Amino acid sequence: MKQLLTIILLVFTITAYSQCVSNQSTTITPAGPYQPGDIVTVTYTLGDFTGIFINWIHAFEIDLSPSWINLTPITTPLNPAGSAGNWVWDLQHTFVGGLNFGPGWRFNNTANVDWGTASEGPFTMSFTVEVAPTCTADILNISMLVIDDCTTGGWTGGGGACCADPAFQIYNGLVLPDQISTSLIYHY
Amino acid sequence: MKKTVEIFILVIGLVFWVGCATAFGQTTINPDTVCTNAVAEQYFVTNTPTSTYNWAVTGGGGTIQTGQGTNAITVDWGGISALYTNAIEVTESNAAGCPGLPILLDIFVLDLTSNTIGPFCPGDPSASLVGNPAGGTWSGTGVTGNNFDPTVGIGNYTLTYVLAGCNTTINVIVNSGPVTGPIQHF
Repeated sequence: MKQLLTIILLVFTITAYSQCVSNQSTTITPAGPYQPGDIVTVTYTLGDFTGIFINWIHAFEIDLSPSWINLTPITTPLNPAGSAGNWVWDLQHTFVGGLNFGPGWRFNNTANVDWGTASEGPFTMSFTVEVAPTCTADILNISMLVIDDCTTGGWTGGGGACCADPAFQIYNGLVLPDQISTSLIYHY
Repeated sequence: MKKTVEIFILVIGLVFWVGCATAFGQTTINPDTVCTNAVAEQYFVTNTPTSTYNWAVTGGGGTIQTGQGTNAITVDWGGISALYTNAIEVTESNAAGCPGLPILLDIFVLDLTSNTIGPFCPGDPSASLVGNPAGGTWSGTGVTGNNFDPTVGIGNYTLTYVLAGCNTTINVIVNSGPVTGPIQHF
């Protein structure tokens, strides 16, 4: 019984601590719903990142449903009180642990290329994205996934417990295609 | 009886069409009416500049002559009189290539016929003029309503029957009578 309680407590502890991100917020302009060809600007802020087991923040991945096109970075996140290095924009990158990343920003640590940054934020970034041409009410979804260097495989010294925060939902809706209203046929 | 009702409804529709066509120069009455072998009949929908329009003409011997892809077409029609359901169809696509719902129009290809009358002599009584389908109007020298009066005089007359913008003509001859001299006494 004691052994079972210990296991449950351990699981609970890991689960509780695996939430590394907090104070996420976003703005999206103009407000939806959107039609094909609309271009929206998204600003996302992560207020605080507190990694477990010395896991550092390593990347911000933008997850888009297929009905978005022309993703363009506008503002790169800063690195307040962070490690040496910079945030770089990438459409695709494979991390050392095999994680297929992109698109989004990933931290390029100049001291150890596999690590993220010790910064705890805040991190603010922005980008634009366009609604793809479509004739149907396709799903429009934007979310931001914060990835630590444990998840990327760059830091293994923390005992294997990685941050497991769910992606932050920025927008979830449907495309509103143009309504085509043809008049009756006239005869001269 | 059923056929009679059908013709009556058709005639009412045609009369109404004539009124509208006269007033506005266009119609959306369904079915639309054209004359047999009509050429360059113009059909259109309200234009959206960024849209394209795919037209289809089926039945009635109709063929698109101009305007495919635009909001207006011209059509030449065949010579077989009948009602052709969904004879004209247009589907609008917006700038993204998304199609709207097809818009359909039935077409009645109208062939006017009439009876033949004459030849007449100057003193003959009036003769009835019968156009088919009924409901049209007769015109021409010697015509009063649906009758031709040979007392109009000797000659060759062209009478016209008009219905729903279509017309047909007949020729009527009033011959001279024999000229009889005075009675003489030998």
